[in-house]
Amino acid sequence: MEATGRSVLRSAIHGQRRFVAGAAALAAGHQGCEALVPVIIGVVIDTAVSSGSLPRLLTWLGILAVIFLVLSLAYRFAERNAQRAGEQAAHELRLKLTRRVLDPHGGADGLPGALVNIATGDVKRVGDMVAAVPYAFAALTALTVSSVVLLTSSIPLGLLILLGTPPVLWLTHLAGRPLERRSHHEQERAAEASGVAADLVAGLRVLKGIGAERAAVQRYRRTSRRSLNAAVRAARAHGLHNGAVMAVTGVFLALIALIGAHLALAGSITVGELVAAVGLAQFLPTPFHMITYVSSEHARARASAERVAEVLEAGPAVTPGAARLPAEPVGELHFAGVSHGPLRAVELRVEPGELLGVACDDPAAAKALLELVCRDADPEQGRVMVDGVPIDGLALSELRRAVLVAEHDADLFEVSVLDNVVVDAARSDAASRAIQAATVDLVAETLPDGLHTVLAERGSSLSGGQRQRVALARALAADPPVLVLHDPTTAVDPVTEAAIASGIAELRKSRTTVVVTTSPTLLAAADRVVFVRDGAIAGCGSHSDLASDPDYRAVVFS
Amino acid sequence: MRRELLPVATPARTAAVIGGLLRRRWRLTVTAGLTLVGAAACGLLPAPLLGSIVDVVAQQRDAGALTWPIVLLVVVAGAYGALTAAGISLTGRLGEHVVASLRERFVERALHLRLDAVEQAGSGDLTSRVTSDVTLVTKVVRDALPQLAHAALTIALTMVGLAVLDWRFLLAALVAAPIQAYTVHWYMRRARSIYTAHRTSLGALQHQLLDTVGGARTVRAFQLQRTHTAKVEDSSRDTVGIALRGVRLLTQFFGRLNLAEFVGLAAILAMGFWLVSIDAVSLGTATAAALYFHGLFNPINIALMLVDDALSAGTSLNRIVGVTDLPAAPQPSRRGQAADGSVKLSSVYHEYEPGHEVLHDVDLQVAEGERIALVGASGAGKSTVAKLVAGIHRPTRGSLAVGSLDLAEFGSPTANGLVALVSQEVHVFAGPLAEDLRLARPDASDDDLRAALTTVGAWEWVQALPEGLDTVVGNGGHRLSTAQAQQLALARLVLADPRIAILDEATADAGSAGARALEQAADAALRGRTGLIVAHRLTQAEAADRVVVLDNGRVVEVGTHEELISRGGRYAELWQAWSRSREG
Repeated sequence: MEATGRSVLRSAIHGQRRFVAGAAALAAGHQGCEALVPVIIGVVIDTAVSSGSLPRLLTWLGILAVIFLVLSLAYRFAERNAQRAGEQAAHELRLKLTRRVLDPHGGADGLPGALVNIATGDVKRVGDMVAAVPYAFAALTALTVSSVVLLTSSIPLGLLILLGTPPVLWLTHLAGRPLERRSHHEQERAAEASGVAADLVAGLRVLKGIGAERAAVQRYRRTSRRSLNAAVRAARAHGLHNGAVMAVTGVFLALIALIGAHLALAGSITVGELVAAVGLAQFLPTPFHMITYVSSEHARARASAERVAEVLEAGPAVTPGAARLPAEPVGELHFAGVSHGPLRAVELRVEPGELLGVACDDPAAAKALLELVCRDADPEQGRVMVDGVPIDGLALSELRRAVLVAEHDADLFEVSVLDNVVVDAARSDAASRAIQAATVDLVAETLPDGLHTVLAERGSSLSGGQRQRVALARALAADPPVLVLHDPTTAVDPVTEAAIASGIAELRKSRTTVVVTTSPTLLAAADRVVFVRDGAIAGCGSHSDLASDPDYRAVVFS
Repeated sequence: MRRELLPVATPARTAAVIGGLLRRRWRLTVTAGLTLVGAAACGLLPAPLLGSIVDVVAQQRDAGALTWPIVLLVVVAGAYGALTAAGISLTGRLGEHVVASLRERFVERALHLRLDAVEQAGSGDLTSRVTSDVTLVTKVVRDALPQLAHAALTIALTMVGLAVLDWRFLLAALVAAPIQAYTVHWYMRRARSIYTAHRTSLGALQHQLLDTVGGARTVRAFQLQRTHTAKVEDSSRDTVGIALRGVRLLTQFFGRLNLAEFVGLAAILAMGFWLVSIDAVSLGTATAAALYFHGLFNPINIALMLVDDALSAGTSLNRIVGVTDLPAAPQPSRRGQAADGSVKLSSVYHEYEPGHEVLHDVDLQVAEGERIALVGASGAGKSTVAKLVAGIHRPTRGSLAVGSLDLAEFGSPTANGLVALVSQEVHVFAGPLAEDLRLARPDASDDDLRAALTTVGAWEWVQALPEGLDTVVGNGGHRLSTAQAQQLALARLVLADPRIAILDEATADAGSAGARALEQAADAALRGRTGLIVAHRLTQAEAADRVVVLDNGRVVEVGTHEELISRGGRYAELWQAWSRSREG
């Protein structure tokens, strides 16, 4: 897994190499100029202020101006390039993830929330890493420039600063590490309070319904206090770390001043060089910190990249074949001796054009049946065939073209009712008939903008029954050769359900349709009903024929 | 609906509330303040000490003269470290305590708000206050405040330091101030709108991803990959574009600050040149002044960057204090005051919006222990009746008595456990499942929980969860199916043990087999209580003691199932449709 995380990072950086390289060059220029500012201050003190020469002062202030101009422009364009690289890398990864999750072969399904976090948070972290790469180069350049300046003025002082800075930083890092690690944990703890508050407010109605406000407030207070204690500990750890850094770098500065002053008194460096050395000693931690920052950013980005890779590299749920179906499939569906989960040796042929009802005593059996038709899974025994072709030999796009499975809890999208129903603009006439058959026209009457009303997330602005009717209309409008409906009307009132049952029969006349349900209204509208009990076919005939079977009655009329 | 947002406090009121919270911890406040000032002062001492070292060198004095400045440098470094550590720790403690008090009071008031007030404001108002505002304030207090305080104090003390070296240095440094002031003004005017746009576009992107990824199965079934990928791409590209606009602005901001840095530094150096030339200051003092100013680059950048955060935190605080300032929830009357478990509506009228009456002259009497089914088409007013009885809304006219107590005087009947309402809206609280259930009865033992779950037929699957009752469920945890979540809601009802239970389509939205299991669960949960059931499956109506048929906000029929069937009215029509199929 580690290798793939690394390869995600590498290809993200590689994909933006033009911007990364440009940003690196510019950022290096910026850092170099930043390092020169204290040097120039030293030079001005040394050559102009101490000598009282106005021309020199003006010359050096002019040079300072040029340095500031270069510094400012270099930073401006470095940052723009770096951020562009980061944002674009994230954008491209996000699209890759989306394509992978939506891939017809499946296999990358997870909790939507977790996947969205990967496509936003983790991808952003990878992008941040890409944007940070140029600054690592820049920091190295700044170190080089500082070294050259320091070593040319005084080798012992230069060596002291250059060799002394890393151990000093390492020392402070060491002092801070256990604290930082703990504080990371504490910070997560501290964030808990906001999360719990949001969750309680989201469930406000439920809380009020059972009068649990007081209990919830009590619980929140405990969470908040826990978060508070964690946050206070984190602040203390953070303070100690910062304090240690300040103290150690301060003592180091004193050491440089001591040695530099002795060197200057002995005449081996000038006053200006001493000032520059002190200035650089104050500046040097910045590039070193930058390098540590980029390396810690890299560690975090690696963890994120691994999560991204896990999704991208997920194997397909099923291996599709390459067989194709005729342009107009006849629509015969055949379960040939299928055993799968609770299903035992099911032999069932759905004739072309038939409206078949399937009543299962066990919801798990119904689910297994649907799973097979979707090809979310392959049967343990037997095969499923469409128009005589085994579906495990079919390309998935072919299977989906022939067979549409409309699940009971199908998701609606955050677009208008009409756009939810019309998934294929070429079939808008089918859509208007489907809208009538599923009585979505009646739903639309109650909505502010009728069919053009935009739904809330997951269709939550509709009631359960209204959602089901829109989802059903969408399935009917797609007008597939074989349509498999699962419990399409559980939340619909009986009068409407009866209208829908006859609507389905009317619209799907001469098209193969399977309705998996225990609703007597829907089963009564079917040409033929198959009763599945204990995973096997226990009866077959019209709804009224089967109604004499007490087991069937128990499942359907309870 | 007319939006009436929740109140927002004035900045003055917010300041007063924060001031009050700080006064409650005045010792900590004073200590933290003094420590910060001390730390900032220590941060400024190295520059003059280094200046005096330069003087020693420039005047070619004895090396022994270096001892004191060096020793002082070391001492100052130690003190600076210690004070910084204490300053961060103390301000952290203070800030966190203030924020914790605020968020606790906020949640307490928010949870006790009347639902109609929340609905009138749009539920997004409260949600965004708790998610964005509380989170933002917490973050700013934690991350930005210590930095901002330190930077601001450093700037202030540096100015003092410059003035102490020579007042004319301060004058030179202030040459940069107008540029900085203008830059901040220029930046904030533009940044606000870009950041808002960025947040909005991030939200839209997240939304689109959730829509697409959450509906992945549907996308695959209908082969909608192309449109959905295009939507994600558009949304993501928008976000990238806005983010880059933000980066442009930020780099322009820093460009202007660079100009200010140069102008200030050049002025200080020129001033040093002049002051040294007229012998007003030493070379060391001029060095110290230049180093002081160079040392200001970072604090100024930090302070100016954070001003924006601080201002948004201020706005968020106003929105939080607006809610915490609401009157506290009234103390609920004692449960024992309810004489029985009856419900009585007399000539009740209700309108959500003036002029749009949804209930007209509803009379309904429910005896203790009786089970009533409310039946009717959607929009007939069933849920409104349920909400009125639960005390979520007050009837516009007419009187409503629950437990033989007039609701107008009695307050919320759910808050004191007389009535419980389970609606179609399911929410599973994030955390261990047992904690979720204990919201209904905090002192429930594990055995109580098991008994309640068994009653609603959920114990079997709860037991099968990875960690049983301790399994973390809800947002970020183990995902429960809709039917399981509804069973959980019924188990909470059992634990809450109200005299009167209202089920508002609590069994809808599950598969047909699931609906049946839920009906059994609901039946068991209602045993021994007065029940008011908003039903769409008529089996529930059949099993009720009496059926009330609503049509267009009026009660059109009341009676037992058999009576209504024989009457041949609206109910009989519904029943016929329902049972036609059942006769085979």
